[in-house]
Amino acid sequence: MEIFVQQILNGLVIGSTYAVVAIGFSLVFIVLRVVNFAHPDIFMLGMFGGLAGITHLGGSIPVALLSGAIAACLAGLVLERAVIRPLHGRDVLTTLLATLGVSIIIQNATALIVGPDPISYVGGLNQRWTAQAFGYLSHGQLFNLAVSLSLVAVASFYVRRTRYGRATRAIAERPDVAAAFGVNVVRVSQVTVALASAMAGVGAVSVSLLYGNAWAFIGAVFGLKAFVAMLVAGNRHFEGVVVVALGLGVLEALVAGYVSSGMRDAVAFLVLIGVLYLRPSGLFGSYAT
Amino acid sequence: MTPLLAVEGLQVRYGGVTAVSDASLEIGLGEVRVILGANGAGKSTIIKSILGLLKPSAGRILFEDAHDLARMRPHEIHRLGIAWVPEGRQLWNTLTVEENLRMGAFAEARDAEVVRRIDSMYERFPKLRERRRQLAGSLSGGEQQMVAIARALVSNPKLLLMDEPSLGLAPFVVRDLFRLIVELNAAGLTILMVEQNAQQSLAVAYWAYLLETGTVVESALAAELASRETVRDVFLGGHARPRPVSAEK
Repeated sequence: MEIFVQQILNGLVIGSTYAVVAIGFSLVFIVLRVVNFAHPDIFMLGMFGGLAGITHLGGSIPVALLSGAIAACLAGLVLERAVIRPLHGRDVLTTLLATLGVSIIIQNATALIVGPDPISYVGGLNQRWTAQAFGYLSHGQLFNLAVSLSLVAVASFYVRRTRYGRATRAIAERPDVAAAFGVNVVRVSQVTVALASAMAGVGAVSVSLLYGNAWAFIGAVFGLKAFVAMLVAGNRHFEGVVVVALGLGVLEALVAGYVSSGMRDAVAFLVLIGVLYLRPSGLFGSYAT
Repeated sequence: MTPLLAVEGLQVRYGGVTAVSDASLEIGLGEVRVILGANGAGKSTIIKSILGLLKPSAGRILFEDAHDLARMRPHEIHRLGIAWVPEGRQLWNTLTVEENLRMGAFAEARDAEVVRRIDSMYERFPKLRERRRQLAGSLSGGEQQMVAIARALVSNPKLLLMDEPSLGLAPFVVRDLFRLIVELNAAGLTILMVEQNAQQSLAVAYWAYLLETGTVVESALAAELASRETVRDVFLGGHARPRPVSAEK
């Protein structure tokens, strides 16, 4: 029973990071109609932005989070302007391949500069800490969970309650009508990419502090799972994406704990195949394309 | 007086197909004008060109004699004071009624002003106040048309473009709709309408254009066009019918 609770908590911790990346994927997709395969690498750049904050800027956690957010946000804006916007109106496959190309370039360029192996650093939060009655969570895990869920809450507030957030949903459903009612679609697209990227940056620094390292190829680890979470949930309901991402994290942790850790990465794809077979537009529905 | 909107020699192509080959029309401040035409004649294409959603391959679209809409982007055009009731309503079905209205007033950044305008829409359409928290997609056809019109009106437009507003509505709803059009116009709103319902739209319009396969073939007083044999044959089913709306005017 104790292992069960422990694995669920471990799963929620990692799932909350999937959720942060998945929301970014999803927001960018519904507004720009682009499967942004470089999004996980923007996450990775955010991680190194955070590392730079720790090693060069004095090392406090708020500074690290902020520098991660800025690095990722800038990377996202450059990507939008240089790659995604010029391809506006092309089919989904074209932009998918273009961002995939960018992804490969970013990963390898980063590896060229910092090396292909994970870089460990001091300043992580991985001391053990006992949270009464909730099993065992380290400082780092609790911190990551709190940061990730806060990011989710901020994104949720933005989409549900703000003028631009409403425009985001309006564009998702009917881009032409939104434009004809005064929405500058390009502007909203930029804001969406900036938000999704900055969120990914903060989420990356937070999970990096948990493990005490940063890695040029970390994007694939979280990106693939986040992508699966978006497909399984469907992109229509933001909260659905979050629930599926958390659920996926928990399921993986349970499989790793009770079956075998080798099966862990297969879980996401088994779920994906099963769900898309039964509900092609995801558990909670998707916008028509 | 210069017209509020003047479309001159408009030509629009989709890929290789010419949807509108030569359309010229205009509308003055405070008028109601209607473009009549069969399905596929290019009526919606003209509306979408005015809105900036389609780029003409030739011609000019002058608004207030100063802005060439053919060179502007949709959100800029909207901010000049042009609002749209799209064909088939095209509400945001995944947004609530109130969110649809808020989106209609998107160009207005002051929240208090937006709330005030939405409130005045609720005065006009009390049904929408009851339904404000419901998703627009869950409303009946008539209610959805109310939302579509209210969404256009909350932007306080100078020019209202209505694309087939009566399409798919029950007869008694259509009657209310045309009554509303007369009312809005009496309050000073300029309305350019595209319709297949020639009978009712000719009754409320001052001027009418006849569009055939992308070309404006007739431009005449609505009352005169309504009495013509050819128009009756094409649009009124070949025989004159009573015109209930004009009787109520």
